[in-house]
Amino acid sequence: MKVLVKTALATLCLSAGTAWSAPITFNTALPVHEGGWVLREQFMYMKIADDPTPAQRDMRVSGVMSVLGYGVTSDFALFGMLPLFNKRIDISMGRQDITRRKSGVGDLTLLGRYTAYQYDAPGRTLRIAPFLGVKAPTGEDNARDGMGRLPPPVQPGSGSWDVLGGAVLTYQTLDFEIDSQVSYKANREANGFQAGNVASLDTSLQYRLWPRSLGAGVPAFLYGVLEANLVHSARNRSGGADDPNSGGTTLFITPGLQYVTQKWIVEAGVQIPVSQDLNGTALKNDYVFTTGFRVNF
Amino acid sequence: MKRILQICVLAIALTLGMAPAVAAPQTYKLHVDGLSCPFCAYGIEKKLGSVKGVQRIDVDIASGAVAVTMAEGATLDEAAAKKAVKEAGFSLRKFEQLQSAPQGASAGPAK
Repeated sequence: MKVLVKTALATLCLSAGTAWSAPITFNTALPVHEGGWVLREQFMYMKIADDPTPAQRDMRVSGVMSVLGYGVTSDFALFGMLPLFNKRIDISMGRQDITRRKSGVGDLTLLGRYTAYQYDAPGRTLRIAPFLGVKAPTGEDNARDGMGRLPPPVQPGSGSWDVLGGAVLTYQTLDFEIDSQVSYKANREANGFQAGNVASLDTSLQYRLWPRSLGAGVPAFLYGVLEANLVHSARNRSGGADDPNSGGTTLFITPGLQYVTQKWIVEAGVQIPVSQDLNGTALKNDYVFTTGFRVNF
Repeated sequence: MKRILQICVLAIALTLGMAPAVAAPQTYKLHVDGLSCPFCAYGIEKKLGSVKGVQRIDVDIASGAVAVTMAEGATLDEAAAKKAVKEAGFSLRKFEQLQSAPQGASAGPAK
């Protein structure tokens, strides 16, 4: 269970990390202009179930990821990401079903991105931008209910200071855009628990469906989107030992749509796990529905 | 009296005839590389719109051309245009000064 929550949330966080981008599930290197701001709000609903054990665990997470980006220069941008979660897990214990839940603000991630390479030509651009960030333990990590301390996946925060980094490549033309991102998140220990590190490789294709031919001015675009996220999580460590029922590799495919104007973007997509190679009895992901908007100002 | 009237008419005619022509606004065409989506076009309008004297901006995303119309008497320096385009995250490939736009020519307002 932990690995899937961690995987999905890590993907969502990194996606918010470069919030000016066109992809839905991760970020690319489109510019935030110098002195400019981008606000992104992403709403998501995640269902994680398919439990092979008698506990029949069923976890649902809904949340809002708020992202604010600022262009320090034309090449360097800073981003802050703050999630708000509502987590719930239902567990069957014999004849009794129990529910544990928690809502709250999660951990704040701060991230800087530098465009190291840029090639511009008429109607197209190629950019490569490494990024580096830190996740601060701003979310509650010791929440309790009547049964005691909530398990780590249900806690809004992790309690640990973590670092993440990677690089994103964007090739954009007037007709389509391809983005690819490689990232790594190193998690640290807190409260006797250390989530496994997460490595991911993400790719996105956005293809202009409308208008079919461009007229004068700056028309709005409707993009059809197809994205793939390959995410590998290492095993968690708890009490100094690896958790055999955690970690694994998941491949998500995300079809979606985006409507892009000069000042705002609305988008929606459904992340569907097409391959899940998980360790032990880790819960499998059913789907992640994501929708949101972005505003330039 | 007749002579005074002739002088007045002449003076009015000279005044009208010699009135300085109102300078038509200068228009420039910027060829911008890297401009390939509507969301990115916002930055270039904002940055060019903050250049002193810029009155109107028209972006044509298909051709990557940006028409900049200046206020009366104002001119656009190529270095300033290049700086604004760079700050917006793009590259200025070519800078052209077009013929002065006729008075009242319509174009999008500077943003």
